Amino acid sequence: MSSTAAGAIDHHFDPSTSTGIPNKKLLMWAFLASDCMFFGCLISTHLIYRLHPPPGVPSARSVFSIELTSFSTFILLMSSLMMALAVNAIQKGNLKSLRASLLTTIFFGCIFLGCQVYEFNNFVFEKHLTITNSILGTTFFTLTGTHGCHVAVGVFWLMLMYIRTFQPRDSSRDLRWFLCNALHIVAFIATILLGMRLVLGVVRGMEATGVSAATLAHFARGYFAELLGIVVSLGLLRWLAQPRGAVGFNETNAIDVEMMGLYWHFVDIVWIVIFTVVYLLEYI
Amino acid sequence: MSATAHAGTAGSHELEESKFQIYVQIAMLLAVITGIEIITVYLPFAVPILFAILVVFSAVKFLFVIFFFMHLRWDRPFCTILFFIGLILGGGTMWALLRLFGAEASMPLSSAMLETVRWAAVA
Repeated sequence: MSSTAAGAIDHHFDPSTSTGIPNKKLLMWAFLASDCMFFGCLISTHLIYRLHPPPGVPSARSVFSIELTSFSTFILLMSSLMMALAVNAIQKGNLKSLRASLLTTIFFGCIFLGCQVYEFNNFVFEKHLTITNSILGTTFFTLTGTHGCHVAVGVFWLMLMYIRTFQPRDSSRDLRWFLCNALHIVAFIATILLGMRLVLGVVRGMEATGVSAATLAHFARGYFAELLGIVVSLGLLRWLAQPRGAVGFNETNAIDVEMMGLYWHFVDIVWIVIFTVVYLLEYI
Repeated sequence: MSATAHAGTAGSHELEESKFQIYVQIAMLLAVITGIEIITVYLPFAVPILFAILVVFSAVKFLFVIFFFMHLRWDRPFCTILFFIGLILGGGTMWALLRLFGAEASMPLSSAMLETVRWAAVA
């Protein structure tokens, strides 16, 4: 594409390819089509054993928590909205809005993953449902765990895309940019992991002892290292996000963000199916 | 640039501007449908009716996401065809597996039958 002026690019047609579709987009659609078959097999395996349960399988209804799953479904839907807004922002050349939307999508993705970690933890330690002790556990953890892995890959991809939006216009031999990249990735991962550990620890503790000012003070002392780590890594992220001259990421990179968006929305539609088939159908 | 091209670019700009509103409205609609789905499972209707309602709601959400958030509505029809090939193959595989394992010979053994098999093995 020759023109890079904001709004001059047709994002739905690429004259340089015989199909009129950008090759990257075509590749992503082909991958998503193949992933449909992959998830189709996992969902049908779960359904087969739910429709014809072998003896001794626990009732799924006594294990599942519809409130938590509904919350995480809502969060994933909102992350899909933010992803769509991110694609819209870069197609208009609005880098600031793109970064804000990507960060919000990452945040929502992490909440979803946190909910899943909490749910799995609850199933294993409270409800005694593991991947090996019943066929329900095997099919359930394989299906939702695979979906969770897709979400985790999506969060990592979003993170890399966010970092890429800071790439200087000429970064071919820039060692500083490479080091900034590495530092950015480390700070992001540290923030996410420490944040999840802190939130899950506090939630679990609150469930055990109840909510009060004394309990919160106790947790603040108990998770001081995590809190400190989060403050430091957030400060580092803020410092790395400072403007440092012209960046090379612009409207011409919209196809990369759109491709990532396709993957993220696919993860969302898979969850739409899982939410209905695996969770809601157990309640009727 | 010709007058037609100008008109096309202006139309494209308006579409990009209006997409923001479309996305927000669709997200709100999807959230409402999810809420209705959760309420639906507690309604005292017959199981086949509840099942049909949930499948329809799920399909509506699915289609809204792929056609609007994933831009299939504005992209070349070939993208839709490509994705639906995978979707139909995946759906077909699911249908075939459910039929295959729903057959009498493929059903898991009951407790009594398992006991019989164990005793036969011991003997």
